[in-house]
Amino acid sequence: MSCHQYESAFTRRDFLAKTGLGIGAAALAQMLGTEAKASDAATAAAPLFPNFAPKAKRVICLFQSGGPSHLDLFDNKPLLSKRFNEDLPDSVRQGQRITGMVASQARLALQPSKYSFKQSGPGGAWISDLLPHTQAIAGDICVVNSMFTDAINHDPAITFFQTGSQQPGRPSMGSWIDYGLGRMNENLPAFVVLISVATKGGAGQGLLARLWGNGFLPSRYQGVQFRAAGDPVLYLSDPEGMTRDRRRVMLDGIDELNRMQFERVGDPEIETRISQYEMAYRMQSSVPELMDLAGEPQHALDLYGPDVTKPGSFARNCMLARRLAERGTRFIQLYHRDWDHHGELQNRMPSICQDVDQPSAALVQDLKQRGLLDDTLIIWGGEFGRTPYAQGNANREKYGRDHHGKAFSIWMAGGGIRPGIVHGKTDDFGFNVVENGVHIHDLQATILSCLGIDHTKLTYKFQGRQFRLTDVHGEVVRAILT
Amino acid sequence: MLGAMTRKLASHAALLFLLTALALRAAAAPSPKRVEFNRDIRPILSENCLYCHGQDPKNRKAGLRLDVREDALAPHDDGTAIVPGKPESSDLITRLASTDKDEVMPPPKSNRRVTPEQAALLRRWIAEGAEYQKHWAFIPPARPALPELSAENSARVRNPIDRFVLARLETEGLAPSPEAAPNAWLRRVSLDLTGLPPTPREIDDFMSDVTARGEAAYEAASDRLLASPHFGERLAIDWLDAARYGDTHGFNNDSGRTMWRWRDWVIDAFNSNKPYDRFITEQLAGDLLPQATLDQRLATGFCRNHVINSEGGIIDEEYRVEYVSDRVRTMSMAWMGLTMECCRCHDHKYDPVTQRDYYRLFSFFNNVPEFGEDGRNGNAAPIMPAPTREQSAELRRAEQGIAAFDAKLEKMRAARDWSDADVEPIKKLAAEAAAKTPEKKQSLYLPCENAQPVRDAWSAVDVAPLSAAGVAGRAWHSDGTSALARIEGKKIKFDKSSLAFWLRPDAENPHDAPLFSNQNYGGVPAGSSYGNGQEIRLVDGEIDVRINQRFPAYALRVVSKGAEIIPGAWRHVTVSWTGGNRAEGVHIFIDGCEVATRIVNDGLTGFPSAVGYLLGADGAADSVKYRGSIDEIRAFDRLLTRAEIHAVFERDALPYALTQILSGDAGVRERGWLRDGALEATDPAWRVEAEQRGEAWEKYLALRRSLPEVMVMSEMAKPRQAYVLTRGNYDAHGEAVSPGAPEELLAPWPAGAPRNRLGLARWLTQPNQPLVGRVVVNRFWAQLFGTGIVKTLADFGSQGEWPSHPELLDWLAREFVDGGWNVKALFRTMVLSATYRQDSKVSAALAARDPENRLLARGPRFRLPAEIIRDQALAISGLLKNRVGGPSVYPYQPEKLYDGLVVAASYPGTHWEPSKGDDLYRRSLYTFWKRTVPHPVMIAFDAPDREFCTVSRSSTNTPLQALALMNEPTFLEASRKLGERMLKEGGADDAARVAMVFELATGRLPFEEETRVLLRTLCRFRDQFNCDPDSARAFLNVGASPVDASLAPADLAACSVVAGMILNLDETISKN
Repeated sequence: MSCHQYESAFTRRDFLAKTGLGIGAAALAQMLGTEAKASDAATAAAPLFPNFAPKAKRVICLFQSGGPSHLDLFDNKPLLSKRFNEDLPDSVRQGQRITGMVASQARLALQPSKYSFKQSGPGGAWISDLLPHTQAIAGDICVVNSMFTDAINHDPAITFFQTGSQQPGRPSMGSWIDYGLGRMNENLPAFVVLISVATKGGAGQGLLARLWGNGFLPSRYQGVQFRAAGDPVLYLSDPEGMTRDRRRVMLDGIDELNRMQFERVGDPEIETRISQYEMAYRMQSSVPELMDLAGEPQHALDLYGPDVTKPGSFARNCMLARRLAERGTRFIQLYHRDWDHHGELQNRMPSICQDVDQPSAALVQDLKQRGLLDDTLIIWGGEFGRTPYAQGNANREKYGRDHHGKAFSIWMAGGGIRPGIVHGKTDDFGFNVVENGVHIHDLQATILSCLGIDHTKLTYKFQGRQFRLTDVHGEVVRAILT
Repeated sequence: MLGAMTRKLASHAALLFLLTALALRAAAAPSPKRVEFNRDIRPILSENCLYCHGQDPKNRKAGLRLDVREDALAPHDDGTAIVPGKPESSDLITRLASTDKDEVMPPPKSNRRVTPEQAALLRRWIAEGAEYQKHWAFIPPARPALPELSAENSARVRNPIDRFVLARLETEGLAPSPEAAPNAWLRRVSLDLTGLPPTPREIDDFMSDVTARGEAAYEAASDRLLASPHFGERLAIDWLDAARYGDTHGFNNDSGRTMWRWRDWVIDAFNSNKPYDRFITEQLAGDLLPQATLDQRLATGFCRNHVINSEGGIIDEEYRVEYVSDRVRTMSMAWMGLTMECCRCHDHKYDPVTQRDYYRLFSFFNNVPEFGEDGRNGNAAPIMPAPTREQSAELRRAEQGIAAFDAKLEKMRAARDWSDADVEPIKKLAAEAAAKTPEKKQSLYLPCENAQPVRDAWSAVDVAPLSAAGVAGRAWHSDGTSALARIEGKKIKFDKSSLAFWLRPDAENPHDAPLFSNQNYGGVPAGSSYGNGQEIRLVDGEIDVRINQRFPAYALRVVSKGAEIIPGAWRHVTVSWTGGNRAEGVHIFIDGCEVATRIVNDGLTGFPSAVGYLLGADGAADSVKYRGSIDEIRAFDRLLTRAEIHAVFERDALPYALTQILSGDAGVRERGWLRDGALEATDPAWRVEAEQRGEAWEKYLALRRSLPEVMVMSEMAKPRQAYVLTRGNYDAHGEAVSPGAPEELLAPWPAGAPRNRLGLARWLTQPNQPLVGRVVVNRFWAQLFGTGIVKTLADFGSQGEWPSHPELLDWLAREFVDGGWNVKALFRTMVLSATYRQDSKVSAALAARDPENRLLARGPRFRLPAEIIRDQALAISGLLKNRVGGPSVYPYQPEKLYDGLVVAASYPGTHWEPSKGDDLYRRSLYTFWKRTVPHPVMIAFDAPDREFCTVSRSSTNTPLQALALMNEPTFLEASRKLGERMLKEGGADDAARVAMVFELATGRLPFEEETRVLLRTLCRFRDQFNCDPDSARAFLNVGASPVDASLAPADLAACSVVAGMILNLDETISKN
């Protein structure tokens, strides 16, 4: 039997032309469909974003999961060495709660860092010798030593960092930003997640899909995880035997049948569906192209260090982050796991620093060289810091530290951030913030501000209430902005 | 680029505004009628004013309150907010219109804005007298009169629902849509009531029935679907979201839990059409019902479905408070449509409920003997075994079998008198028993005669000064002033081992007395070694075995049932650990016979490290002491057999009883031992019966141990005092509160109802409770129509949306409640209404005017829920294994999905091992629900993660959905099986073949133009695969089911592609 008898009178190009489904129109259709849904709970008078001229167009969050020790990385405290193994004074602790893991410890013995620090960059940031590459880019980054959070355990603290609430259920930062600003590339998700684990040691704490979840926002705003093993995006690859050409033929058939259905039934959702199939088809090329580093010159690969060749490494993910940034992905969320150094810090810290130091610095430099740093905001840090006292016994060489939310350090760089400065200060124990404290909600407000968003205006009505990333708090940290 | 973006966003926002404005006009357009406070004014005040001028005194600005008429009318500093009849004198109006940025209301920085239309409404309302109304949803629904309709519309009415809908359409000047074709209705209703599409056979039967019987055919089809066991499965899907059902605990460790028996309960409840007031009562308080049945207690799993945190180091109380709060939130949202959780930290900003109201509700749920940190390794206490119906029957049969043995044995006992002739055989039996004791494996033996070193590694020191007559020689005795003894040395290995001892408690004993303990009582719960150790305790006459690595996260606790250890009588106790660290491995024997046990905790992963024991006391600073005697302590470092345990008992029991009887001191128990011993020694028939009884008993106990467990509610003997928690902080106790509900606002406390969860259930389900009936019918309505009559399914408060059809909502609520909370009857009425039966075709004009179909001028059309999309593909391809209920299953999931995500420890639920065989093809509601990484197909199609109560899912349309439908193995395998059906059942003609699959998927035959597309694609693919047969074979190689080798691969592959196209169609994955 010949196929000719079934051929339609028109070609695919005719079909698209006839039905008004060029690429631009597809984008429009997508908006018509899905955005009308987004209005379900949003008010009719949804504010326009950005509210003011943005400094950054996109964000890369290099999240260090587990709570890196600020006292071994960025917050140099010689006093801890002088008062080695003395008890943390009650005047410092001030009755603040500590975790159940050390609550039954007889003593809270002061624990110095075994690592040396160097002052780097114009602002004289103290950076641990564990992070030589970070020392080298000190002129490009802003170290914030006065971070503090409300939570003392991983799950609530990381949920707080990423969603503005310790309890599950709120949208993640990336979702809010996608919701507020929309996408810049029709072939890739606007919010992408990349995960790596420490080379040595283990994975540590679990990550939760809710950290890049949409919460009560429509689920199209959830982050899409790009995986190192298997399909980079779930179900991206066609099965064997389904070549690209064949997929095209099949999709043409689906499009045509959906179009007929639309003409009969009139539901605009059908048009959206057609455009989503087209985007899926495009993603099947754009995502593998993105993940393939074959076209990267050797010097670029070298910048990120030897791990860049290993799929799923932090180095690889940093390079992918740059590639995503180039392609207009709005929010790029990296996680690196195993910073939870309750014990054996001396064994785990050097290795995990080696995992992240060079690639983090390389990302900043690479973006800078490509002129992208100016409108890309980078955030490096974890959900909290660690205690100035030892978990277990204090020991100059071998030690561990418990969770500490009252003070910790992060660094930021790029779009909107003043480079080469140090912001905020802790007491001599690194226990309490004494100057320019930056609460998690302040950080979130500041991130939004860099993107041109007034954090009090990015709201979504859910269950009768206008919710926002910063809840009812948050002050933009103007001092670190350009 | 940014410029283009901004422009795009601007046009998009304008469009969005337009659409929403249209929608609002459609749903809640002010009519020229008199302004009505509830409908027209309250939403404006609530959204714009009440945040600062509402009932929350802490937030109130300028002391002005607008939610209460008297306050709003009272003269104020420099004016009066509302002067009835005089809008121009009312500050409310002047401040709205002010151009002074310090004067204008709402303040510019509040992001709130009153539109000119809204301002005009307010003005009219004040002009008309500024009458207030209690918020509509807080007034009990009255049965409304049925509206009159035009003759044309009257003819369209099939039941009262239609009158309300048509009346609204008349005022809007709209006509309803014509009735959908019978097959379209059948597909719609089949998916709605069972989650499965109709088969072509069902469609044919229905079409002929419609021709033959008309309306009766519709009723028969509805009844058939309502009677299907899949009705319960369909309704369960939505309830599992609301009840936040999951197979893992959530949070960072997200380890597994076993709650599927509760899911079975839900399916059963809907299938048996349990009246919905019972549905509420049993889930809230089944355990408190008089003579609660197993099913009723099982139902309370609802209150335990919340997430539980096992992260080391958390503050226990902080999370315990979270769980109680979650119960309040879930109950309030799912049944009252109230956002009570707003009051956790402060009085509600919009609704007249206070923080005190919140903590009064809280106190109902605050009395569970539970911990904040728990569930790391399985279920968190309180738990109970929950046999399935089959298992219950099996248990009953086993119990009957044992009773039959017992009757026979009792008869033999009755016929047997003690005689002196029995003395010698008894002595011989005792000697034999002594010889059977595996003394070589005896790692510890304390005869308890006096303080003496025992073996090399053991010593008993600090022996109490008291001793008493023992079972064999003397015994150690304590009067409760100190421990009996301290045993030091190596620990008893609680793994494949047994520990035996005699005890005789004194009359005066604490209800919970330590017998053996090396448990660490230092520190606080959640401390790293809190509770580490092992204990055997005597609790109210039962033996209570506890092994903890860390309490309660890693804890095991097993309690005997029916040990009957009473003061003044010797009893022999053996505790055996059969190996491993599960509670089912702990066996307790009394007088040589195993007794049943109850598992309290089952979360051990290793063993504690503590060494040495206190006897008769524990390490707590204020330890209670055991009072009584203990004798003949033996530990064995291997597991004793049933016969050996009996022998260890008899070796001491028989000589002791013999002495007693000969001296005339034997009690009933000792006589019993002797009689059984004599029978054993002299009557072979007894031996046979006793042996068989022993085997049957062992099997019965094994069966009991294998029962699925479920977390349930129970009340602590002494309730915890609840407090208002300042700013919601777990440790900031404010005013003490007693259990209660917002009674003044909503409904009085029913006379005689207890102030506990059961009373709360009665309060909720009284006929004039204003919210519950409305909230429930509204959610069922939304399930069929896509949107609720009140669109905000979770919020019936003043921030909720005004109902599109208020009288219809009230009519439905009254019908439902007054008709006995009959769920199936409600669904029957809804699906048979002309409203539901309309065609879903929509004109561009109507789509623009009413995009969400709030006015119901057409039939519902929306994408199917995630579960049903997959279930439908399985069903029509013939892959579906349609067994109802049972444990969760593990269908295909991408390999390494958990890589980089799950915690680095092998807790239960952290590894996905795909099911084999039938379980790959079960309905999706049985898929293992891992909360932190739910199945990606479910998530792609908008299923929530179930970390908390969700009563409506978003409905998105994304490229990830397209990828899943095109490439996920279940869908690929389903298309292959459909390809096979096409070739084997579709006849020889390609057109008929594609039509067959098309009908399976959409419930209708394709139009000619559609057939042409399908055939063209089929033909192209057939050509392609014929030229490249290897690729055809590769394409078919997906899924565990075998490929039909009798079919030509190229042909089958081409058919599968076309079937796959059909599975991808918008029509297939939509309800039309």
